[in-house]
Amino acid sequence: MKKFMVPVVLLAAGAALCFAADPSKMKTIQGYADSDICARLMLGPISPERIECSQSTHKQGAAPQIVRLTDNLVFEVNKTKMLKDYVGKFVEATGEPKEKDGRIKLESVKEIDRPNIPPGAPGHELMDARNFRATGDRAKTFEKVRHELAMMPYISEFDFISFTMVGDDVILTGWTVRITNRSTAYNLVKNIEGVNRITNNIEVLPMGSFDMQIRAGARAALQRMLSRYFWGSGSDIKIIVKNGKIILLGRVATKADSDIANIQCNAVPNAFHVFNLLKVAPSEDKKKG
Amino acid sequence: MLTRGIDAFGSGLRRNCRIGFFVWLVALAGCTQEPKPGVESKPGESKSALRRVEPGKESGFLQDYSKLKPNEKLGGDALTYVNPDKMKSLHRYVAIIVDPVQVYVSTAADASLIPDSGRGAVAKYFEHALVGAVSDAFPVVDSPGPLVLRLRAALVGIDLGGKVAPLNDPAMTAKPMDRAIVLEKVSVEMELVDSETGERIAAAVDKATLGAGAEVGSENFSRIERYNEAKMAFDQWAGRVREFLDSEHELTGEDAERALQSYQPYGK
Repeated sequence: MKKFMVPVVLLAAGAALCFAADPSKMKTIQGYADSDICARLMLGPISPERIECSQSTHKQGAAPQIVRLTDNLVFEVNKTKMLKDYVGKFVEATGEPKEKDGRIKLESVKEIDRPNIPPGAPGHELMDARNFRATGDRAKTFEKVRHELAMMPYISEFDFISFTMVGDDVILTGWTVRITNRSTAYNLVKNIEGVNRITNNIEVLPMGSFDMQIRAGARAALQRMLSRYFWGSGSDIKIIVKNGKIILLGRVATKADSDIANIQCNAVPNAFHVFNLLKVAPSEDKKKG
Repeated sequence: MLTRGIDAFGSGLRRNCRIGFFVWLVALAGCTQEPKPGVESKPGESKSALRRVEPGKESGFLQDYSKLKPNEKLGGDALTYVNPDKMKSLHRYVAIIVDPVQVYVSTAADASLIPDSGRGAVAKYFEHALVGAVSDAFPVVDSPGPLVLRLRAALVGIDLGGKVAPLNDPAMTAKPMDRAIVLEKVSVEMELVDSETGERIAAAVDKATLGAGAEVGSENFSRIERYNEAKMAFDQWAGRVREFLDSEHELTGEDAERALQSYQPYGK
């Protein structure tokens, strides 16, 4: 027994030493603790509605993440347990952030009050709904961004790329199965007149065989029951699959269609959970009626 | 100054320590594993079967040549086919398997003078070029499955060139071949099939003479500068495969209208 204990203790001590955070790379960031779904969808300012989204999706199993207030960049955290109690709250997180990968190695997290972020600070933008309204020239820029992203060639049913405008800045969000979509979206938006800064929060999804089976299964089930939302090269319903979880996005005409989509996806083998975020948008005929 | 030096030293030490830790873990895992029964290469695996093609003719690599039509987007030298069934279109796939490239030697060449290793080098480089060209649009995966395409490709009509001059560069470890491989009349045939059913989704025959003047004279030709023409030709052929995929993914007509109408960012 003793023979095994010595190497195990040495291994544990070595691991602790090697993986301890590097003090020279430690930074403290102010952020909003969000769920990975709401952070990628970027519902806009930190409003009660957004907080509700963060907390409810987290309760359903969405992983917690940090949205940095200065530029809205989403950080995946290495220790989700450390952050889980703060979802829906403003936090000050200390750790090793890696902007390029959108990850942070957390050391500590503490809650901060909303008034602690002064109105002039860049982080305050995220809390002010007025910054999210696109009017005048910004409305034109918004439409140009929408047009460019809608026409992207490699967007399938399994990609959802969204965006938010905060003043002249564009925050790209969503999920894609293709790396090229992340960079293409960035390059397309970069060339649009009136766009200042771009934050790219588009996540490239893993291509594990389970997730691929879920994607194929979900698409087949939805196409069988809701074929009118699918056309040759795309669909009105987006099926995002990440580590066994399905996120349904897009628009359907009736609540019944939304429910059917939910039921169908829940029956897909290997799917752990379905987040039904489909929006019900009545057809033009109904609006006129 | 001193503290900065200590920090830098500590940071370096930590990095080395991490690498060392992983090496140690891997070594430990290796020690604890039971020895596997010896995996031997199958007979004939190293020596790929020699495939021949008559100059200017189709190789028979594709399942069917009758449905190929000239593709204006790629120029008159390319013939392409896309499955007309919308349920079997390229849009329905998100990943790809790239099969090892097959090489067809022109019947005009004395095949005994083209070593397996030479054909292997050519095939390997083209496979590498294909992976590079398609991988960001179609992530490359190892195994077949749903939503996965299989890319089969062949270089058709490689020929035999002149004697390869010996290299006097001691740093050059690649073994030169006796006779060069000529790519002058090479064409590319490729097919995208469903990785599960084998059904054809798209195909192309590219007869663009990109290999004019290109020669391969070493088993590891990519290291030798004078064969840059060949590398360029392979990269361009692979690039045209990607061009074909891009053009098929472009949104036009009703699809474009529907996509524009449907797309709304979340929250709008």
